[in-house]
Amino acid sequence: MEHNDYIPKPAKLIGIKEEVTGGRAIKTFRAKFLNGHGFSHQCGQCAMLSVFGKGESMISISSSPLQKDYLQFSIMKTGRVTSALHSLVEGETIGIRGPYGNNFPIDDWQGKNLIFIGGGIGLAPIWSVLQTALGRKDDYGDLTLIYGSRTSADIVYKEDIQALRDKMTVHLSVDVEEPGWEEFVGFVPANVKDKALKPGNAIAVTCGPPIMIKFVIMALGELGFTDEQIYTTVENKMKCGIGKCGRCNIGPHYVCKDGPVYSWAELKKLPPEY
Amino acid sequence: MEKILTKQSFPEWIEKLSAYKVYAPIKKEDHWDYEVVEKAVGLDPAYGNAVLSPKKIIFPQREVLFEFGSQTKEGFDLKENLPEDEAVVIFGVRPCDAKALTGTDKVFSGDFEDPYYRKRRDAATLVGLSCNTPPSKNCFCLSVDGSPFSKTGLDVLLTDLGETYFVETLSDKGEQLVNAASAFFSDSKKKEKKEVEKLQIDAEKKIVRQVKDVKSLPGKLKEIFDSSFWDDESLSCIRCGICTYLCPTCHCFDICDEVTCEYPLAGKRVRTWDNCQFPDFTMHSSGHNPRPDKASRLRQRIQHKYNYFVERYDEYQCTGCGRCIGKCPVGIDIIEVLNKVNEHGA
Repeated sequence: MEHNDYIPKPAKLIGIKEEVTGGRAIKTFRAKFLNGHGFSHQCGQCAMLSVFGKGESMISISSSPLQKDYLQFSIMKTGRVTSALHSLVEGETIGIRGPYGNNFPIDDWQGKNLIFIGGGIGLAPIWSVLQTALGRKDDYGDLTLIYGSRTSADIVYKEDIQALRDKMTVHLSVDVEEPGWEEFVGFVPANVKDKALKPGNAIAVTCGPPIMIKFVIMALGELGFTDEQIYTTVENKMKCGIGKCGRCNIGPHYVCKDGPVYSWAELKKLPPEY
Repeated sequence: MEKILTKQSFPEWIEKLSAYKVYAPIKKEDHWDYEVVEKAVGLDPAYGNAVLSPKKIIFPQREVLFEFGSQTKEGFDLKENLPEDEAVVIFGVRPCDAKALTGTDKVFSGDFEDPYYRKRRDAATLVGLSCNTPPSKNCFCLSVDGSPFSKTGLDVLLTDLGETYFVETLSDKGEQLVNAASAFFSDSKKKEKKEVEKLQIDAEKKIVRQVKDVKSLPGKLKEIFDSSFWDDESLSCIRCGICTYLCPTCHCFDICDEVTCEYPLAGKRVRTWDNCQFPDFTMHSSGHNPRPDKASRLRQRIQHKYNYFVERYDEYQCTGCGRCIGKCPVGIDIIEVLNKVNEHGA
């Protein structure tokens, strides 16, 4: 049979974890390919997830390529497909095709200090590279995470983040004051400035809502980071994932194929259509 | 090779092609449309161009990618739905529409080959018909590296010489088609070749519409990305999308699931043409929309055709067929828009 990129391969949901409940519900899914199917991915790549009868959604792979037992996806319940995914239980089968897109150039970052800056569900796309950096800790310098969410109830990977504190510097924030919160209060860009991150020998990787990314990049610029030192990962609506359906473009770039990972030096040259 | 076919023999040639599924433009009330030809017919002498290009045969408006069923031990029931192996010949293809397919060829190939498109494209033999007279008053192929006698993308080109067709085969597929009924074809003479050359010169003179200074458009379009020009030009757009539905080069599509039975689950994953002029084309599920208004969507259509596509594939994503101009209900005219782009800020 000839190769057909549109055909998803079956994968079993081997774990589903409720990260955030309520109106902005987030669940983390772990999936394992069936029947010997599978692929190896790079940090920052995405996959098309299928719930048959509902459709497909492009989701970033949040597990590290070092994790060979399963693929992990953290998904906010937003539209038709993500709502259907949230209604599934362990043991059910979904379709997966991919991996799609480019990746973070982590091999070029050896010896550098890595700073991860996430907002809300935007931690998921950078979780893969963060976990890989931790897994290859000797290859990198200091590791720092700056992560913010609307409230403490919106934090994803809560226990994992607590466990990170032994291995790297972690700064959390919530948007507004709440009882019992002892860390930073305010938006993520403000926390970035508050912590006076040092640009020397560093790479900053950021993902979150578009407006957050924009102000984080401005904050990093004020702290002396060059455009080449800042990386982000972009999302746009996608249908094919292979550069043909024509909707995820930013200028001549297709995010699904040429992205989603861009340095700010690359992204700032493109039209702001993301 | 170059041959002569009498118009009388043309239907007999079609009749000989029983190994092929034959498409030809069929006259409807007020337009022509490509349809499967069941019996041997000639080409309508009044034929201009079909309302939809032969793209609709190679890349149909709706196609089932696969069928799905309920979950099984192995995962799920899934039936791939690739096009059948069936040789197709399409008659009456205008040079602009054949050239359009060389653009979509690039989109649907590359590092991710699209097997649905590829199978249909490989199975199709395109028999073109030179435009002795421009099919539309809005034809402007000469502005975009085209010509009323262009051979790009075609397997055979016919030129109407009155009582006969001058026949040029342009590929192996084209030769096969002619050889399938070689008795109907006679050798051409120098005189007929000269006649074709003259017809071409005359035809090119009849094309009056023109985009000026096309080569400078990619650069100009980059310059005016943020200009209010796009607000002015898109003011009258009613986002009906006919410009892109009729375009022979537009390739954007949607993929959706159609469910025929909920329990047990049965349905189809379907690909359909989609349209960059529609608001939900780019709208994220969060409600955020990178192209939220008519201005940004018209800008996308023009930039894609005359800037992004050129950068990516080194050709215009427009063949000058004029369909979008003739059918736009509010009179948005891509030639005028492009000429204004070139004059903008000058």
